[in-house]
Amino acid sequence: MRIISKLALGLLLVVPAAFGQIPPEEIYVESMPERGENWFIGTTGNGGYIFDATTGEMHGMLSLSRYTPAVTHYWPRQEFYAAESYLSRGVRGDRTDIVAIYDYENLRPIAEIEIPNHMARLQVRSHLGLTNNGRHLAVLNMNPGHSVSIVDLEDRVFVYEASTPGCAVIMPIADNDFMQVCGDGTLQLIQLDISGFEENRVRSDVFFNVIEDAVFDRVASSANGWWLVTHRGVIFHASTDDDEIIISDGWKPHLEGEEAWQPGGRNEIIAAHHDTGLIYIAMHEGPIDTHHEPGTEIWVIDSNLQRRVGRIPMDPPANSIMVTQEAEPKLLVNDSQGGNHVYNALTFNKERSIQIPDATHFEDF
Amino acid sequence: MKIDRIIDRTYYWIDDNARRTSLALARKLSRRNFLSRLGMFIAGAASFPLLPVARSFAQDSVLEVGDPQSCDYWRYCAMSGTLCTCCGGTYSSCPPGSEASPITWVGTCTNPVDGRAYLMSYNDCCGKAVCSRCGCHNTEGDKPVYFNSNSSTVLWCFGTENTSYHCTVSLVLGTQDETE
Repeated sequence: MRIISKLALGLLLVVPAAFGQIPPEEIYVESMPERGENWFIGTTGNGGYIFDATTGEMHGMLSLSRYTPAVTHYWPRQEFYAAESYLSRGVRGDRTDIVAIYDYENLRPIAEIEIPNHMARLQVRSHLGLTNNGRHLAVLNMNPGHSVSIVDLEDRVFVYEASTPGCAVIMPIADNDFMQVCGDGTLQLIQLDISGFEENRVRSDVFFNVIEDAVFDRVASSANGWWLVTHRGVIFHASTDDDEIIISDGWKPHLEGEEAWQPGGRNEIIAAHHDTGLIYIAMHEGPIDTHHEPGTEIWVIDSNLQRRVGRIPMDPPANSIMVTQEAEPKLLVNDSQGGNHVYNALTFNKERSIQIPDATHFEDF
Repeated sequence: MKIDRIIDRTYYWIDDNARRTSLALARKLSRRNFLSRLGMFIAGAASFPLLPVARSFAQDSVLEVGDPQSCDYWRYCAMSGTLCTCCGGTYSSCPPGSEASPITWVGTCTNPVDGRAYLMSYNDCCGKAVCSRCGCHNTEGDKPVYFNSNSSTVLWCFGTENTSYHCTVSLVLGTQDETE
């Protein structure tokens, strides 16, 4: 008994001395490192996950409302912008729609601007658009009529709600303008003044028929405009010259015997790399009205030649895609089983898979 | 100030005209005339159910075949969302405690029993957390969000007190041949 008590006493003295040699660790909080190439945001119902597509490493997360359509950024101000919608009791209670502003360094909310409670509340990249001069943010509304809320991001104020009946999608163009796709088969151009109020509104000629072959409400930006694609795979390019809307003739990348191939997917089905002019479209073989079928292949199309230059097989098929804008771009794919994959966008080789829980689409930044 | 004056004058003009018209009517029409017109209106209202629109709703119930908890069920050809039949409701009723949205998207589905095309209304049930059982996404006749009356990719909880989405029901509005 005496030996045991001596041993216990000895241990009591030795053990603290042993631990005393290691300095206690202190908790701290990271801040964001310098932004690298091929970084992107994986948008989910839970928030925006910031990743490096080259390494597959996650760098941080933006906490967003589950109804957030998209998040965008403006690098000169080092800020992110998200449209968000909250109910005071989670699934019931007072609704508040806001544009939230987050700083890059800490990914924390630094300002919020209340907007009308009319936000469309769908996770779609083109339901949010930052004008190219970085001044105004346009948020798509559905109540159930369509309108657009304009927010001045420099002055941090809601400017006004523009009624846009029959037109949706927000495609920023020129300095302070945006285009929309309309149900009567036209595009609409809205030009804002410096305060964010509507200065001019123009409609294009009819160029598609929504009943026969509708243009998707998912679009991809190009170097000077926007790529549009119809349910049957006809590709159009839209741009502007001051207050004139310029729409190219439609063309298809299909070869003979491939008529049954058409675009499809549950979210972003088209992406484009500005410098090379390459367009990426999720495609599947199927009858009419299968436009939400995920893509069993991604077709890579050279827009300069109007010719397909690659077919990337997808298994599981692709629901949502995005391409980064770097010189060595990455193609990001969200598949129908929830997997997320990084491809070299020029060699079409798969490089890695990344876990992003319940991702719906991606944002480049 | 100018605008205020214009508005004041407009209101005055409306009031004055309403007063003059009322006085003129009172001079021209007797009380009996009013009663006879009221009688005609009531008789007309009684005959309203004889009109074709009402008759189409009064016909026998729709013949059903299949499993309403399956996405392949005929009513769901343009359905997108969670089936209320799996969440305590039916294909035409919302689960307890939820709110039925009066604003909907529509589709046209063929009933395999009689081969007729039915005009369907897809109503969201709202005000509760998403049920997430029996997810179903069919796209027959589905259009993009800018053509929203035929777009299933929309949260249709409009006109309800609470705007969260719970599940979706599918109601028959009529047959296509009746609506043509």
